[in-house]
Amino acid sequence: MAKLLSIRELKIDIPKEARILADKMLRDLEASKRPVLEAVKTSLDNSLYNAKVGYLTPGDKVVRTELNVSSVQKLARVVFVLEILLNNLDKGAVNTKRELYYMCKGLIKGNSRLKPLDFDDQPESDAIIDFIGDMLEVYREELNCFANDRGGQTYSQQLVVTETMPDGEKAVVDLSTLGTSPFQPKNKPQALKLKAKKKIDFCLIVESEGTANTLVTMGFTKRNNCIVMGAQGVPSNGVRGWSKLIQEELDVPMYFFGDLDAYTMQNIFRTLKAGSAASLIRNADFSAPNVKFLGVLPEDVKKYDLPHYKVKESDPAEARALKKAKDALENDPFFLDKKNKNLADILRWLIKEKIRCEQQSFFSVDPNDPIKTEKLILEKIKRGSYV
Amino acid sequence: MSKITKSSTAEYFAKNLQQVGFSSPLKAVLTTLKEAVDNSLDACEQAGILPDLLIEVSKVGTGSTKNTDLIRIVVEDNGPGIEGEDLAKVYGEYLASSKFGRGQCSRGQQGIGISAATTWAQMTNARGVNVISKTKKMRKALAAQVDVDIKSNTGVLKNKETLDWDREHGTRVEFVLDGRIQLNGDGGIVTYIEGTILVNPHMTVTYKLMENDFVTVTRVSNEVPRIPEASLPHPHTFKLGEFITHATLFGKTTLSKFLKTGFSRISDQSIQDFVKKGLPKNLLEKPLTALTEEDFKKVFQAVQNTDLMAPSTKSVLTVGEEALSKSITRLGEIDFFAVVTRKPTICDFKPVVVEVALARFKDRNQSPDSPVTLLRFANRVPLQFDKSGCAITWAIESVNWKSYGLGQPKDSLPLGPYIFAVSIVSPFIKFKNASKETIDASEELVGEIRLALIQAGQKLSRHIKKEVKEADLERKLAHIEQFGPILVEGLARIINAPESRKKKAEEGLRKLLGRDSEEAMADLEAAESKLLEQKKREKKKGIDHDDIEEDVIRGEDLVEEALEPQGTKKTTTKKETTKKTTGKKK
Repeated sequence: MAKLLSIRELKIDIPKEARILADKMLRDLEASKRPVLEAVKTSLDNSLYNAKVGYLTPGDKVVRTELNVSSVQKLARVVFVLEILLNNLDKGAVNTKRELYYMCKGLIKGNSRLKPLDFDDQPESDAIIDFIGDMLEVYREELNCFANDRGGQTYSQQLVVTETMPDGEKAVVDLSTLGTSPFQPKNKPQALKLKAKKKIDFCLIVESEGTANTLVTMGFTKRNNCIVMGAQGVPSNGVRGWSKLIQEELDVPMYFFGDLDAYTMQNIFRTLKAGSAASLIRNADFSAPNVKFLGVLPEDVKKYDLPHYKVKESDPAEARALKKAKDALENDPFFLDKKNKNLADILRWLIKEKIRCEQQSFFSVDPNDPIKTEKLILEKIKRGSYV
Repeated sequence: MSKITKSSTAEYFAKNLQQVGFSSPLKAVLTTLKEAVDNSLDACEQAGILPDLLIEVSKVGTGSTKNTDLIRIVVEDNGPGIEGEDLAKVYGEYLASSKFGRGQCSRGQQGIGISAATTWAQMTNARGVNVISKTKKMRKALAAQVDVDIKSNTGVLKNKETLDWDREHGTRVEFVLDGRIQLNGDGGIVTYIEGTILVNPHMTVTYKLMENDFVTVTRVSNEVPRIPEASLPHPHTFKLGEFITHATLFGKTTLSKFLKTGFSRISDQSIQDFVKKGLPKNLLEKPLTALTEEDFKKVFQAVQNTDLMAPSTKSVLTVGEEALSKSITRLGEIDFFAVVTRKPTICDFKPVVVEVALARFKDRNQSPDSPVTLLRFANRVPLQFDKSGCAITWAIESVNWKSYGLGQPKDSLPLGPYIFAVSIVSPFIKFKNASKETIDASEELVGEIRLALIQAGQKLSRHIKKEVKEADLERKLAHIEQFGPILVEGLARIINAPESRKKKAEEGLRKLLGRDSEEAMADLEAAESKLLEQKKREKKKGIDHDDIEEDVIRGEDLVEEALEPQGTKKTTTKKETTKKTTGKKK
């Protein structure tokens, strides 16, 4: 069966690479040499940022796993899971990580000699799958392993999506025919082609899917030639790949509208705009560097007198976010780059003021006007009130 | 004005029994038992007799006071026995002691305890103590009931009779009183008996508690502890009032003679030094009776301001590491132990010696997360109440036991199926209260206990480390066995490798991982040899862990076993391993 879909032009042949690797390991063992597996180190200290590129790229640090008495378990697991993934590629079968976890369990159940490999819970098998991806420098999806992509609900009166199916057939979706139901992209950007029926002025990505839906229901997409998308928290690969596609194919201004707090700035917005340290090898296809931070901005809090809250430092999650923000200002190459100084300034402001202001606070400005938030957003875009 | 009356000592204690250990029915039983056993052991020791004790504690009915049982406590010894005329004094009169203020490390000191027990029995059950006693000289034993005449603080003998007793000498006391029995835990009778067994290696004891069977624990030492000579008090431990009172005992003696004979560490040279520090020279040859309070104050101040030699440590007595190490095995089956006897030292101008025994037990039904069992001793008497205020507890909590391989929550006792026994011996132990339950925690004393604990902890950690390394090696060997073949098979399947390559790779893998396990083995060997050295050193001191032979490294056998492919004969890999290991041992 043919490859189901591709996310990018893959330069390597995964099964061939994997066999070369396995052969090398076996040869090392035959010669009583310790086989070594190397994978890109996916952490902030191995992340580089160049404003011209626009996303985090890997440095030259690697994680070396050399065979010894302590690592033999991990290596045996890597080979075991690799074999399953290669089988999947061969058959053209796809699975989620959880499904793969259970497939491992099933195989182990059927062969008592494999018992020591058994995974206690899914994070253990997930870690092995991620390691294989980092080792081969391929996307999880290229190993036919898909996540349940959350978020990305998209509304537009102008956008038409054409999907090329695995069997070559094409499906055309005109988003204007969906009413208030969203179009939700799967993580297969390469299979999608976008077309605008009419010129699209901008794309608005809203952190809260609920608020995105409210805007659309109240006629946002009818009154404006635009795309509205709900991110639903930290953007999944689906949302990130989809945003990148919109940026590449439509070349429209893109704005992100979310809460004003350290977590949103670092975890949600930065991931959307420049990718994350954990996904260094895939940020190229999974980030939209053109996205601007529309708000909530510190100046909005003052200008619109928005209700806001003191950050509770006694709350472990909020205290952690603040600590992470301080850390980001010192170590995150994205925030250290002078091109992103204004974003770093927002982080600094948040650390200093210790307040948070939610996106929904815009609904406090004129509670009697149901489309006041829309008006404020448009006004901000017009005024250039974004970072 | 109301009439001022003078009450007897007995009256005072009868009203304040809670001060001397009778503050609850539970404590009443334990204190009575304790006082009787202390008396027996002290008597045996003074007569140079190896003690054989019989203890029985049982419930015989309902108590007359609310929520109590009627408890019968019997303690019988093979001590020298008590002359007929002394019986009333010993059991029925307060402060009638042969040991009061003598500066000796005996268990009892003031002569309060056993009379208080008699009072308690008399108050709750209307009868004092029943005593049978026989000395070597007596043909027949004397039996009597002793009551306390509270008004006059004298003992009264009742139902006196003579009887045949099948032993040469000894004493048997029987108390029947209101109380409650708790066997286990901090205030339990079993805990008390275990503690007494531990610090009295020369004692054989047979005991029966409630409906349980008789248990006999025999002595592991045939030496009666030699109680050191009493020592004179050191002047720096005195306060002015005490100093003056002490002087009254010396009548018309001259001041210089009083100073030289009434205290330790005062020589002619020191007297000259006192004069330099402001002692009026003309007072020296005056009789004490002619000195005014003002004079005493001057003398006292001069003495306090002069540096004196620290007191002698000859007056302290130790159980000893050898005896402790034997004795601790009497408390149950142990995995390992560490004992430390510190050299006698001076804390707060008093001679003190600290001894520590730590042991891990196999069968104490104690969960790994519960705190260790703490046994505290002062002059070889177990302390069982109010442990949180005790110097010993403070010292244990101040040590970082994690570095010795034990779990320990912050500022708490460490965890695990261990017994921590800490004994303090000193002729002048400072207790927090008259019932001798907690040792007052001075900085110096806590520091000294801490040192002993750290030494013992280091010794203990060698045992624990060896165990950890053993487990580490075992885990590593298991890993090789389990994952090696799976790894090779997986690789071979992925590239469709022929059987020959697979075999070769398996051999290579075994070699590689064999090297790793050798490292783990070397770690284990290092840990084992350190322990072995320690055991050898200890053996010279008479401390026997009983298992030195058995301890010789078995690691290489384990490796051989693990590396040997199932069903095949010994391979070259194995030979190599053996050779290397042997090489290392040299």
